[in-house]
Amino acid sequence: MSSDEDANDYFEYEDDGFEDDEMDQEAPVKKDYDVAYNVKTLSQVIDMQKKAIANIQTVLELDASTAAILLRHFGWNSEKLQEQFFNDPSKALTDAGLSPPSSPSAHTSPLLPPTASSSTPPRITRSSKRVATPATTRSRSAVSIQTSFECPVCCIEYPAASLSTKTLALGCGHRFCRDCWVEYVVGKIRTDGESAKIQCMENGCHRIVKGSLIDQLVDPDTSQRYRKLLNEAFVSDTATLRWCPHPGCENVIECSQAPPRMLNQIVPTVTCGCGNELCFGCGFAASHRPVLCKLVKLWQKKCADDSETANWLQANTKECIKCQSTIEKNGGCNHMTCKKCKWEFCWVCMGPWSEHGTAWYQCNRYDEKSGMDARDSQAKSRASLERYLHYFNRWANHELSAKLDADFYKNTEKKMEAMQQSGNLSWIEVQFAKQAVDTVIRARITLKWSYCMAFYLKRNNQTELFEDNQRDLERAVENLGYLLEQNPEPDSISKLRADITNQSAYVQKRHDILMDDTLKGYLERRWEFSVDI
Amino acid sequence: MSDARLRRVQKEIRDCAKDKTSNISIDMIDENPFHLIGAFPGPPDTPYEGGYYEVDIVIPDAYPFQPVKMKFITKVYHPNVSSASGAICLDILKDAWSPVLTLKSTLISLQSLLCEPVPNDPQDAEVAKHYLADRAGFNATAKHWAQAYAQAPASKVKATHGKPATDADMAGLAEENVVSFTDMGFPREKVISVLKKLNYRGNNVSNIHESTVLEELFK
Ligand SMILES: [Zn+2]
Ligand SMILES: [Zn+2]
Ligand SMILES: [Zn+2]
Ligand SMILES: [Zn+2]
Ligand SMILES: [Zn+2]
Ligand SMILES: [Zn+2]
Repeated sequence: MSSDEDANDYFEYEDDGFEDDEMDQEAPVKKDYDVAYNVKTLSQVIDMQKKAIANIQTVLELDASTAAILLRHFGWNSEKLQEQFFNDPSKALTDAGLSPPSSPSAHTSPLLPPTASSSTPPRITRSSKRVATPATTRSRSAVSIQTSFECPVCCIEYPAASLSTKTLALGCGHRFCRDCWVEYVVGKIRTDGESAKIQCMENGCHRIVKGSLIDQLVDPDTSQRYRKLLNEAFVSDTATLRWCPHPGCENVIECSQAPPRMLNQIVPTVTCGCGNELCFGCGFAASHRPVLCKLVKLWQKKCADDSETANWLQANTKECIKCQSTIEKNGGCNHMTCKKCKWEFCWVCMGPWSEHGTAWYQCNRYDEKSGMDARDSQAKSRASLERYLHYFNRWANHELSAKLDADFYKNTEKKMEAMQQSGNLSWIEVQFAKQAVDTVIRARITLKWSYCMAFYLKRNNQTELFEDNQRDLERAVENLGYLLEQNPEPDSISKLRADITNQSAYVQKRHDILMDDTLKGYLERRWEFSVDI
Repeated sequence: MSDARLRRVQKEIRDCAKDKTSNISIDMIDENPFHLIGAFPGPPDTPYEGGYYEVDIVIPDAYPFQPVKMKFITKVYHPNVSSASGAICLDILKDAWSPVLTLKSTLISLQSLLCEPVPNDPQDAEVAKHYLADRAGFNATAKHWAQAYAQAPASKVKATHGKPATDADMAGLAEENVVSFTDMGFPREKVISVLKKLNYRGNNVSNIHESTVLEELFK
C-alpha cells in the first residue's frame, strides 16, 4: 500500500451533524407510475462519497486517493470494482490510470518539498528503482539523480541538487518541474473544469494525478474548486443521482427506480426540497408529464429547428377577424372578446367562441382529413407543417399563458381584495380564488405537454380517447379561467364563489383522469408513437 | 508564466530551424513569436503529393498548457479539414493535447492526417461523405485542389479528361450529372451546391432519386 500520500486528507469537510435518517425521508409512493426518491443535501452527498471511498479503502487496503480514483473509473459501482479488483488487481489499477501495487515505491511522488503539515522528510527514490517502473521508455523522463534535468514543458534546466525539491514525477516516471505541474493542474481545474480525470502531462500517458497530490500543489481556492468539481463529477457519474436544476438549489435527488431503460414507460417527476419539480429522467427543470423524456427532447429540437416558421404564432398580438383591430392577450384565458366589436372568439383557432363552450369543442384535435388529399410532395410537406403547427400552436399558447402567470395571480389578488371589501368576506373565505388559479396553472402545464404527446401519437382509438380527455380538460380549464376573469359584483359573489369552487374541483378531476390514464397507458403499452421510443 | 511561453516557443522555432531532415518550417509573422506560419510538403503517395501546405499558428496565452491553435491557410480537400475555413478536426488540438507536444510534432501530425483521414469524425461532412462513397473520385478532386491551391505540379495530376479543372471537377462532381440538371433550366451554381450536398458522386453511386434532387433544387 502506498504510504506517502496522506490517506485521511481526502475530504476536508466537517461533518455537519446531519443524521442520514432525519433527512432521507422517502417520498410516499402514490401511484404505479410514480418513483420513490430521496432528496439529499450537498453535505449528505459528500458523505455518500466519503463512505463509498472509506469502504473500498478498507476492503481493498488502499489509500483514500487510490480508492477514489478506482471508484470513479468504475462509475462508483463498488461491487463491480471489487469483483474486477479481486480478479486482476493490476489490470483494474492500470485501467483506472494507476500502476500495480507490486511496485509500491513507483507510484509515489517522493520528490515533493517538505510541507508545513508533513513531519516526515521527503523520501528520495534511488534511480535504480526506476528501471522497474512499467511506464517510460523515454529516456528524458527516466532521469538519474546525478545529472541535471531540463523540464520538457518550460525548457528550464534544473541542476541535479534541486531535482528533489523542484521537480516531480508520478508513478509513471514522467518528470516535469514543479512549477509546470502547478500551472498545468491549476489550468485543468480552473480553465477546463476537470477534476477526477486529470492525467500526467506526458503525451499519451493516462496516469491520473491523485487528489492528495493536487491538494499539495494548488492554492486553497483552487483546491476548493477542485473539491466542488469532484462532487459534481460524483453526482454525474452516479446513475442514481441528479442535481436539482433550479438556480440556487444545491440539493441532489437520489432515485434508483428510473434507470435509462425504464424511461420508455415512466416519467419520473420528482419534487426537490426547494419546492420545485424536476424530471429525474432527463433533468428538465419542471414537470413534463405526461410526456416521455425522449419525446420532450425530440419536440424541443423540432421546435428549435422550425422556430422561424412558427415564430409568428408565438406573437402576443392578433387581429380581430371581424374588425381588424389589434387584440392583445393579457391573461391565460383563450376566450377572447374584441373590445371594439365585441366579437367573441377562441384565441387558439380564431374560431367563434360559441362553438367552444358547447359539446363540439374540437379545438384540440387536428383534422387529419385536410392533409389526406395532399398529392404531390410539396403539398404533403405543407400538410405536415400544418399538422405540426396545429400542435405547436396549442403547446406554445399554454407556454405563453405560463409566462403570464404572475399577472394572473396579481389580477386575482386584486379581485380577492375587492371581494373582501364589497362582499364582506374574510381573508380565508377568498382563498378559493387563489387555489383555483393554482389548479388552472397546474392543469395548463399538463395540457401544454399533452399537445407534444398528441403530435407523436399514431392515429388510433387509444389516441381518440386521449384527445377526448385532453379536450375535456381543456374545456374545463377554459371555463374556470373565464370564471376567474369575471368581475365580482356584490350581489353575485356567493354564486361566483360556488361556481369557481365547483369548477375548480372539476378541473382537478379532469386533470387526474388525463394524467392517470396517460401514465398508466405507458405501463400497459397502450400508446403507439410515430417515432421510436 | 509568459516567460515560459516565450522561452518555449523561441526554443521550438530554433530547434525546428536546425532540423533539416523533417521538411517542416515554422516562421514568425511580423516578428510576433505568438503568431506563426508553419509549412510542410504534402505527403508522398497521397493526392496531396507535390503540394505545399501552409498552416496558421496562434500560440494561446496558456501555451503549452493549452493546445496551440492551428488552421490550414492553403485550401485542402480533406474530410477533417473545412473546405471553406481551413479549420482542422484533430484530437491533439483539443482534449488530447499534452504540454509536451510541440509545434513541430503537431505539424507532423497534420502531415500524417493528410495520409490517413478519419472520415468518421469529420470537420467537413460533404467531403467526408464523398471520401466514403467514391474514393477514386475523392482522390481526383483532392488532386485538383492540390494543383489549384497548393502549387502541386500539373504533371502529377492525372485529371480524368486532361483539360484544366472545371467547377464540377473542383466540387467532385461528374460534368454529365451537372449538365443533366442545368438542362432543365436550373442555374449551374445551384445544381453544383445541391449535388454536393446530396453526395451525388460519380455515376450516382449513392443512388439518389431524381425527385430528391428536384425537391432540393426547388427550395
Ligand atoms: Zn517546467
Ligand atoms: Zn506519465
Ligand atoms: Zn431543488
Ligand atoms: Zn424527463
Ligand atoms: Zn373586433
Ligand atoms: Zn379554438
